[in-house]
Amino acid sequence: MGGKVTCTLGEVKQRADFIVYWGGNPAECHPRHFTKYTIMQKSKFLPRGRKDRTMVLVDIRETKSAKAADIFLQVRPGKDFELITILRALVKGRFVSDEQIAETGLSREAIDDLIARMKAAKFGCMFFGMGLSMTRGKHMNSAALLTLAAEMNAFTKFVAMPMRGHGNVTGADVIMRWQTGFPFGISFNRGYPRYNPGEFSTVDVLVRGDCDAAFIIGADPGATMPEPAIEHLKRVPTIVLDPHVTHTSRLSRVHITTAAQGISAPGTAYRMDEIPMPLKPALKSPYPTDEEVVRRINEAIANKPFWLPDGSQPQMINLQG
Amino acid sequence: MPTTFHLKRQPTVPLEAEVLSPDILGELSNSEIRALTVYHGKRQLPLGDFFDVEGERSTNLLLRGDLNKVRWIGRAMSKGTITVRGSVGMHLGAYMTGGRIVVHGNASDWIGAEMKNGFIHVHGNAGGQVGAAYRGSLAGMKNGMIVIDGSAGLEVGMRMRRGTIVVGGPARDFTGLQMKGGTIVLLAGAEIRTGAWMNRGTIISMKPLPLMPTFISSGAATPTFLPVYAQFLKPLGIHLPFRAAEGAYRLYSGDLSVSDKGEILVWQPAL
Amino acid sequence: MLRITGGKVYDPAHGIDGVVKDLFVDDHGRFTSSVEGGRTIDATGMIVFPGGVDVHTHVAGGAINFARAMTPEDHRRTQAFIRTKTRRSGLGGMAPTTFATGYLYAGMGWTTVNEAAVPVLSARHTHEELADIPIVDKTSLTLMANNEIMLDQMEKGEFERAKQVVAWYLWAAKSYGIKAVNPGGVAAWKWGKDAKQLSSPIEGYSKLTPGVIITQLARICDELNLPHPMHLHCNNLGVPGNISTTLETLKHLEGQRAHIAHSQYHAYGGDGWETICSETVQLAEYFNSHPGITTDAGAVVFGNTITITADGPWQHLLYKLTGRKWGNLDVENETGCGIVPYTYRPSNLVNAVQWAAGLELLLLIRDPWQVFLSTDHPNGGCFWRYPEIIELLMCADVRKECLKAIPDRVKSKITLAEIDREYTLGEIAIAMSAGPARALGLARKGNLGIGSDADLVIYEEDTNIQKMFGHPRYVIKAGEVVIEDGDIREAPQGREYLVKPACDPGTDEFMRPLFEDCYTMSFENYPVELERIEHPEIRDCSEATGK
Repeated sequence: MGGKVTCTLGEVKQRADFIVYWGGNPAECHPRHFTKYTIMQKSKFLPRGRKDRTMVLVDIRETKSAKAADIFLQVRPGKDFELITILRALVKGRFVSDEQIAETGLSREAIDDLIARMKAAKFGCMFFGMGLSMTRGKHMNSAALLTLAAEMNAFTKFVAMPMRGHGNVTGADVIMRWQTGFPFGISFNRGYPRYNPGEFSTVDVLVRGDCDAAFIIGADPGATMPEPAIEHLKRVPTIVLDPHVTHTSRLSRVHITTAAQGISAPGTAYRMDEIPMPLKPALKSPYPTDEEVVRRINEAIANKPFWLPDGSQPQMINLQG
Repeated sequence: MPTTFHLKRQPTVPLEAEVLSPDILGELSNSEIRALTVYHGKRQLPLGDFFDVEGERSTNLLLRGDLNKVRWIGRAMSKGTITVRGSVGMHLGAYMTGGRIVVHGNASDWIGAEMKNGFIHVHGNAGGQVGAAYRGSLAGMKNGMIVIDGSAGLEVGMRMRRGTIVVGGPARDFTGLQMKGGTIVLLAGAEIRTGAWMNRGTIISMKPLPLMPTFISSGAATPTFLPVYAQFLKPLGIHLPFRAAEGAYRLYSGDLSVSDKGEILVWQPAL
Repeated sequence: MLRITGGKVYDPAHGIDGVVKDLFVDDHGRFTSSVEGGRTIDATGMIVFPGGVDVHTHVAGGAINFARAMTPEDHRRTQAFIRTKTRRSGLGGMAPTTFATGYLYAGMGWTTVNEAAVPVLSARHTHEELADIPIVDKTSLTLMANNEIMLDQMEKGEFERAKQVVAWYLWAAKSYGIKAVNPGGVAAWKWGKDAKQLSSPIEGYSKLTPGVIITQLARICDELNLPHPMHLHCNNLGVPGNISTTLETLKHLEGQRAHIAHSQYHAYGGDGWETICSETVQLAEYFNSHPGITTDAGAVVFGNTITITADGPWQHLLYKLTGRKWGNLDVENETGCGIVPYTYRPSNLVNAVQWAAGLELLLLIRDPWQVFLSTDHPNGGCFWRYPEIIELLMCADVRKECLKAIPDRVKSKITLAEIDREYTLGEIAIAMSAGPARALGLARKGNLGIGSDADLVIYEEDTNIQKMFGHPRYVIKAGEVVIEDGDIREAPQGREYLVKPACDPGTDEFMRPLFEDCYTMSFENYPVELERIEHPEIRDCSEATGK
C-alpha cells in the first residue's frame, strides 16, 4: 500500500534491542522464533543477549508468549487499528485525549512509555500475526503497523514484518510476483495477469461461486473456509494434490497423493523474511512430488488443442475505451 | 430509441463486458453489436450469445436482467446513458469521464472506481470500494457524482480526490479511508473507522458515527457551504437539513495521524 | 546455420565501421567464415550491430521483486504480454516481470544483461529469477562493500584474509564479479547513519574508512583475476557537491582498474538543492586523462520510474523529500535496499540538471570505449527507453528541442547546450555493445568476429532514430532468429556466466564461526548450488589458467 520497511532476520538477531510482537503468539505458533532470531540471541552488538533487549507483547489476551515479554499490553479486541493510529498521531506530537486512549484498553502512561521506548531504541522491530492481519480491518491493520514502522524511521531505525502461517506462503508470494507482478488474487482469464483482492482472491471467488473448477495444491479450504465456499467446491470439479487426505479431498472429484515437501520432496522455501532456503529431502516417498504431477498434467494439456481459437488473441482490458 | 439488451443466458462464471459502453456502441449496427466480444471467464464469445439485442446506433443503452455476474459495464464511458433494470456486477462505470448510469436494482463492488466525471445512481444497494482507488493507485474518483439509495460496503470513497458520493442506507467500515478531497454524504451513518487516515475532504453524516480517536471536536455549527450544498442535492431528492431550528452539525477535524484538514460533520437534530 | 548478406556491418571491436559484408553463423551459434545451407537473411540496405549489452541494470532478485509488489498501479496501466503457445504472459512498466524483461530487452536488440546488485543471502532467488528471463545471456555482480565479515578483516588490517573472504563469497553466490555500493554507508544505515567522508571511520568501526574499502576491494578484484573490474557506486550518490567525493574516490583508485557505476548521479556541484549544478566537465576531464577506467552513464529520462538502490540512506531521504511510497529491506551482514517510485520532470530544477548531466558525460568523455549507455534501470528511467537516449546522442537538434522544455535558470547550471558532438553509428555500437562487453571481459560478446557468439541485431535504416533502434527488423541470439518483424519467434533459454576465483581451501573453516555468529541460516545451506544455475558458463580465474 504505502510501502514496507523491513529487514532479514539476521539483522534482528544482530541489532534489535526493541522487539514488539503484535497479534501473534510466537511461543506456541513459531516456537523457535525467540531462540533463533530474536530475544534470546547474543550478538556482537547485543552481547548480553536477553538483558540487552526489551520485548513488548500486544494482544487481546494473555497467551503463553506473555511469559517471555518484558511488557504486556492488553489491547481491547477490535481496537488494534485505533491504537496504532493513535501511536502515529502521538509520535508526531499531535494531541489525543485520555478518553480516546482509554477506548483502546490501555492507559496514557502505558502508551507514553511505549512511545518513549520506541524512540529511544537503537533498532526497533515489530512482528505482526494473524491477530492483526485476520481480524476486522484485515489488510488495513497490517498497513497500519507497516506505516508506523516507516514513520518511526524519522527518529530511529525501525522495521516491521509479518509472521507467516504454515506452508510456503512467502515462496508463493515471491514467485507470483516475479512472474506476474502480483502476490496473490490474480486472474489470467485475459491471457495476462490482473490483480484485485476481493474479486480474484480465493475465498471470495469460492463464496460467490465465480469458478467452474478448482485445483487445490497443498491447502485445505474445505476445513477453513465459510460454508458457501465449501458448498461451491462440492458443486464444481475439484482436484486436490496433497500428502494427506484432507477435508477438501473428501469433497473433491480427484485426489492425488503427493510427497511431502521438504521431507520427501526437494525444493526451495522462502522464509518469512524472503530468504530462500534449500529443502533437502530426508526420506523417500512412494508418491510423486507435486512438481511431477503438475508437469504431467501440463504435458497432457499441451497435447490438447490450445485454449484460444487459432488467430485470436484476448485484448487487454485497458485497450477498451 | 435506446438500444436494449436482454440477458438471455445467465453466465456461470463472471462475464466481462466492457463493450457495453455508449462510446463503443453509439455508432454500431445491431449485427455489429451482437458480434462484439465478451469474456466469459477465459472464453471469448459474441455478445449475442448472452444478450438479445434490439435497436442500434444509440448512445442510450437499456440493460435488463440479473446482471450481477456481468462486470465492467460502462467502463471509461464519456457520454450517453446506461439504464439497468436488474442487478449489476463489479466495476460499473469504472474510469468513466462523462455520461449517466442508472441502476434499478443492486450494484456490486468498485462502482465508479477512479472515475473522472459522470453520474451514477443506484436505486438499490451497492457493494464496497465505491468511487475508490484500485489497489496501489494514489487516487480514487477525481470528480463526478455517485448516489446510492440503499446501503454500501467497505471503503466507500477510499482515496477519492474530488466529487460527491451520497449513500442512503448504512455504509460499512472505512468510509472515506485516506480521502484526499471531495464529499461523502451518509444519510444513515456508517459502521466503524469512518474517515480513517483522511487527508482532506468532507464527510457529512445524518446519524451519529463512532469516530476514530484521532479526530477532535471543534464545536457545533453549520458551515456556510451547507445550504449551498443542500440546494445542489435537492433535485436528486436528497434532503440535507441546515436550518438552525432543525439542529446543527458537530464538526470534527482529523485524521490527526495524517492531517488536520479533513472534516466530519455529524448532524445533531434540535431537541 | 545462418547467413546474413549485404548488410552494413558495424563491428567496432574489429575496426569495422559501416562496411557492407556478409556474416555467417555455424550450428553452434557462433560466427564462422562460411556456411553451406541454412537460412539466408537478406540484409541489403539494413544496419547490422552486435547485440546490445547492458552493463548495469536491476532486473532480478529481492530488490526488484519488492518494487513489483509496491507498484500494482503501474502494472495495471502498462503494456501486457499476452500468453501465446510459445510466449509466457507478463507485464512491462517500471518493474517488468521476468518473462516480459526478456522479451523487452530482446525486442530492442539487447542480448546480454548484467544484473548489477545481488546480495549473497538471496542470490538463490536472483538466479531463479534470471532463469525465468528468456533469451538474453546474463551475468550478475555480488554486493561486497558492506559485507561485515569482510569489513572486520579490513579493520584488522588482514588484507589476505579479506581477499579469501571475497573469493569465498563470489563462488557461494555463483556470481560474475564484485559490486561495491556506497562503501561503509550501507553498513552505517543499519544504525540509521551514512558514510559521507571517505577518510572518516565508518559507524561501528574505529579505523576502517570508505577510502580503505575502495582501494582494498579494487586490489582484491585485480588479484583474484576477475574479468570485470570492481564495479563501484560511489559514496554520496545524488548529493549536491558530490563531485569532490567522486574525484577523491577516483584518486584512491589510481593505478587500478575500476568501473564507476551510473556516474551521472555522482557529478554534481553546488551545495544544496537550489545551487545544484552539473560538474560533468570535471569528471569527463578525469576520464579523458585516465584511459584505464570505464563508466556507465546512469542517464535520466523524464517520466515515471521507480528508484531501487542499495543506498538505503539516500532512499529514506528521497521518501522524506517526496512523500512517495517507501520500501526498505536490510539484508543481514551484507547490504540493504531502498525503493521509492519517482517521476523526473523537466520543470524540476534538479531533474533538469540530472537529465543534462547524463547526456553530457556521454558526450564529453571522448572515448566511447570508456562510457556506456545505461540508465541504471530502473533508477534513471526504464531500459526500454534506451532508443530515446540513442537519439539524443546522435541528434544535436533533438537535444536543442528538449532543452527548450527546461527552465531558463537551469541553463547556467549545465553545459549541454554548448555541446555539438553527435555520436556516429559506430560510436553507438561501442556505447551499447562493444564497450560494455569488453569492460565485462566477455570476449565473445559485443563483436562479430569469428568464434564469437552470434548475437546480433539488424535495423532498417531510418532517419527516425528512436523508431530505428526501438523496432529492429531482426534480432538473432546464439544464431537463432528470436525477433522477426516485431514478433517473438523463439524464446530460447540464455546462459549465465560465472567466475570461480582462486580460494584458499582453509577459508570454509575460517568462515564458518564468523558466519554462524551473524547469520540465521545454516552454513551448509548458504552457498548456491551449481545445479540451480541455468546453462552456466564458468570462468576459472585462478592464476594457473591466466585468462
